[in-house]
Amino acid sequence: MVRDSNCIILTDSSNIASYVTKVEIGLPALLDIMSVVTARGLSKRFGQKQALDGISFEIQPGDLFGLFGPNGAGKTTLLRILTGQLEQDSGDATVLGIDVKKDPMEVKRKIGIVPEVESPPTYLTAYEYLYFVSRVRQIPDAEARIDGWFDFFDLKESRDVICRDLSKGMRQKIMLASAFIHEPKLLFLDEPFINLDPIFQRKLREYLLEYVAKGGTVFMCSHILEIAERLCSRAAIISEGRIIKLGDMSELVKGGARLEEVFLKLVGKGG
Amino acid sequence: MRTLLRLMLKEELRTHTTYSGKRRFFTFPIMVFIFAFIFALSMQRLLQGTSLEQLALVTQGGAFIYGIGVGSFGFMGKQYIERGYGSKNYLVAMPALLPLTYRKTFLGLYLRDSIFYIGLVLLPATFGLLVGAPFVGFKVTSILLFFVAAVLSFQIGTSLSFLGSVLYTRSAPAFAIFTSGIIALVFLGGAALLFDVRLLVPSIGFQLSVPPFGNDIGSALLLAAVSMAMIAVTTLLALALVRFRYVSRDARHSTLLPRYMDRFRISGVYKEVVAKEFVDIRRSGTIGKMFFSFVLPLVFLSFTSWFVNTGLGLPIGFNTVFYGSMVGFMGILLYSWLNNVDSTDYYSLLPITVPHVVRARVLIFLFLTTGISTVFVVIISAVENELDILWLSLMVMFVTSFYMVVMTAYLTGIRTNTFLFDMSVMSKFAVMSFLPDVGLTILSFSIRTNWVFSLTGIAIVLASLLGSTAILYRGIERKWIGTGFDV
Repeated sequence: MVRDSNCIILTDSSNIASYVTKVEIGLPALLDIMSVVTARGLSKRFGQKQALDGISFEIQPGDLFGLFGPNGAGKTTLLRILTGQLEQDSGDATVLGIDVKKDPMEVKRKIGIVPEVESPPTYLTAYEYLYFVSRVRQIPDAEARIDGWFDFFDLKESRDVICRDLSKGMRQKIMLASAFIHEPKLLFLDEPFINLDPIFQRKLREYLLEYVAKGGTVFMCSHILEIAERLCSRAAIISEGRIIKLGDMSELVKGGARLEEVFLKLVGKGG
Repeated sequence: MRTLLRLMLKEELRTHTTYSGKRRFFTFPIMVFIFAFIFALSMQRLLQGTSLEQLALVTQGGAFIYGIGVGSFGFMGKQYIERGYGSKNYLVAMPALLPLTYRKTFLGLYLRDSIFYIGLVLLPATFGLLVGAPFVGFKVTSILLFFVAAVLSFQIGTSLSFLGSVLYTRSAPAFAIFTSGIIALVFLGGAALLFDVRLLVPSIGFQLSVPPFGNDIGSALLLAAVSMAMIAVTTLLALALVRFRYVSRDARHSTLLPRYMDRFRISGVYKEVVAKEFVDIRRSGTIGKMFFSFVLPLVFLSFTSWFVNTGLGLPIGFNTVFYGSMVGFMGILLYSWLNNVDSTDYYSLLPITVPHVVRARVLIFLFLTTGISTVFVVIISAVENELDILWLSLMVMFVTSFYMVVMTAYLTGIRTNTFLFDMSVMSKFAVMSFLPDVGLTILSFSIRTNWVFSLTGIAIVLASLLGSTAILYRGIERKWIGTGFDV
């Protein structure tokens, strides 16, 4: 039911009110349905280190949401919790209306993930990895989609090379293609531009803008603030496991300030 | 070198404690100590059913096989180096970035594992025997000599394994010649009696030349010197042959995965992972490693039992049923290799769970071993002229194989090597493997003298194992569902 409601929200927001009225659901559930991602009081500790400390925020459909922070601030931990790869110690999170702690597999079925370190299987060829992902995700027209992404990322020459022998950039392209291939409604990207040459950085940027324009949503962690500033509609800055700034990108950089300056000032390195 | 070795030891320790925690990990040598102490205390009772020579042989043989398992540095190093781009990296791969040679880091790896694994098992076991010695009248010198022999056996195994694995990384034919040579030596020395069989694993000969077994100081010194020379020569040769070069391979590979998915469609919902892992096994050359760590111990086992029966003239009723159960119990080595072919990090990005991969690997184990294990048991049965009990031996082999792999998969998931050094896991593993193993071994001895008793007993053990296998297989889901691939 919740999954059905997500489809309604993503495609036609005018139907939401009538749907919500009809089933008479409460305010928290309403917020969950309207938000693609909801985090409430997320905390995570690794030994002595408090990696996340009561993180709360929401991401709306069509947002290109950027999460920025210094090294070790908790960005990747947050992304891994939201994508069902890691369990939080406390707090709640829903992704596309699904509780990530209760049903991480369902979350993974519906989203696309690009991890911080590009790590496709060592011994599969580029083609075989995308074929494997297609079969696991039960994509019906796998061949056509694989060809499409090989064209997009100019990977045809690397089709039959095993991932171990590919360059870092090529491996990153494979990881991006494997996250996009099932056309998910929501993408989680950890440093997606890393290792890509300027041509493909630009191509990826344009693709992501088109993707959100069509109703998709992106959650992205990045240190490349110039690209993020141009790309993201909303953003959060995280430091020592806490969100210290959250809002529209236009609010963050108002008064002609650059995102880099705002970032440095907020994390206390602004001089 | 000292700094490198110290850091490598820390690295190995942290690799183990990452999964099980420091406290549980350090319980392992304590439990080995306690087990050895109890073993020493119950020695008089044990000696009513077996001889001290047999116990010494089994222990030294065990130390040798333990060394074979530990010493495949060529395989391990290659994996560490090739996986350097993944989320984990190891000091052995540092020559790519620092002014170090692979020869130096591999020497570090050799010394690290020798110190680490002697300290983890052989040392606490010896302390346990030493503490128990006054209660059973053992001499301290005998136990210390036993320790020397065990270290030599372990190092011979480690060095041979090191050389074999390095040869494999250089040339598959050289590796094949090397392993065939060892097998040929076993048969020439053992079956054809062309030379003194004690020279094959001279540390065993050393053990039998010193108290309490013998008092031939000359032979003991000679065999100890031969052991040390063997260790030194094989290790130095392995180090001389270590070579890893970063070359632009860009080699093309024919597409295997769709074909394999079709071939293994019998695996049902697991066929994608089964096919993918078979591609890994083929392209990574793991088949050769599996041969090295599965067939060689079987050959060694055959030789040892022959040596006990013929060489030492001790009539022990090893028959085909016994071999059937041993093949099953050695399956754990193969399952362990299956968990070391490639990193599993990327699975966490897909709707695939750890229990799904564990079960897929159980299926892969069955696909891989059914043929080779059957052939081995049939050959042994023909050689021993026991084709009349082949049906029983095969049944024992299949049931114990399936039970052992499912039990190991249940207890260790996708991290067999690490969890078997977690004391709580190891204790369960020891009980769950030792009891049926001992039961089947004892029952197999009386198959010719009291077949009704033997057959009934074996049937009860096999039925219990099948029942346990079903319960454990179902339990894999519940036990591992909350675990991540990269944690």
